Amino acid sequence: MTDPHETHVTDDDLSAYLDAELASTERRRVADHLAGCPRCTARLADFAALSADFDRLPQDSLGCDLAGVIAGRIAAAPRPRPRAPGWRGLLPLGFGAAASVALGIAMGAALVGGGAALPRPAVLSVFDPIPPGSLCPGPESCYARGTLPMGAMR
Amino acid sequence: MAHDDKGTSRRMDDADEVLALRARAGDRQAFTRLVRRHQERVFRFVLRMLDSRDEAMDLTQDAFLRAWNALPGWRPEARFATWLFQIARNAALDLLRRRQRVEFVPLDPDAPGETMFEPHDTAPSPEQRLADRQRIGLLERALGALPAGQREILLLRELEDMSYAEIAATLGIQEGTVKSRLARARAAALAHYRHHAGESPDDRSA
Repeated sequence: MTDPHETHVTDDDLSAYLDAELASTERRRVADHLAGCPRCTARLADFAALSADFDRLPQDSLGCDLAGVIAGRIAAAPRPRPRAPGWRGLLPLGFGAAASVALGIAMGAALVGGGAALPRPAVLSVFDPIPPGSLCPGPESCYARGTLPMGAMR
Repeated sequence: MAHDDKGTSRRMDDADEVLALRARAGDRQAFTRLVRRHQERVFRFVLRMLDSRDEAMDLTQDAFLRAWNALPGWRPEARFATWLFQIARNAALDLLRRRQRVEFVPLDPDAPGETMFEPHDTAPSPEQRLADRQRIGLLERALGALPAGQREILLLRELEDMSYAEIAATLGIQEGTVKSRLARARAAALAHYRHHAGESPDDRSA
């Protein structure tokens, strides 16, 4: 059988014992231990002394009555009421959603169906097909087939 | 807490709940009565959290205004005082965060206010008064040095006499966490006593 005083009561349990916040079984266990353990009894006395010191703290007081001030302020600014939005409140949301969907459809149709906005290759032909500095990795890379300059035919 | 005190506390709670229900429905007079019932407690708690009288007064007002605006969301299942302290505590923590400080400067133990505590049943001797004053100074320094989380739980338990269930509801934590956090706060305060007084807390002059 183990000695009940071999393991001391934890601070958690001593503190809760002081506050009468332990369940009855735990409370009995701690009380039994305290009956024969000067160390835990001293620790409990420390906690009790600390608690008693709070009773001696100066009782700071407001020194005035806030009720009048607060009554004036809540009368001046009525309590904000969370209102459920009616159908009028939902109108802007509906318009926004409809506009978003319409815009999405229009953009999709322009990309897939019409192709009107796609740039034509001819527009790009204004640029010189030979990169600056004539850095062609091979003649066939820079010239269309059959249009190689004479010097490149060697 | 004595049995009679519990009965009184319960009656106060019932009256609080009735007033809160009326205030929730828009009765400003009922809310004004709630302010009168709780303003000193809220102020004391907030003052100990912030250590600034002006800020504590502003914040006490602010807490009541927040409570008025939030009352439509209050349900009678929640004790009104606990709910109110939750609001005051959150407002105090917001202010502490804005200040970017966690601890406040300890009060001067020789300040005149230190002698304002109520004497006990028998008039204490001058030596006893001096010893009491020294311990109060130590406690105030300890409170000032504790992290906000430990300070608030000590104040709620020791000054406001809240049960673990009420503290748990106020802080939004489990009761088991209340138990361990409170024990740690007490241990830290006692360690602070020893550190600054060079004495063991049980070396009290009785």
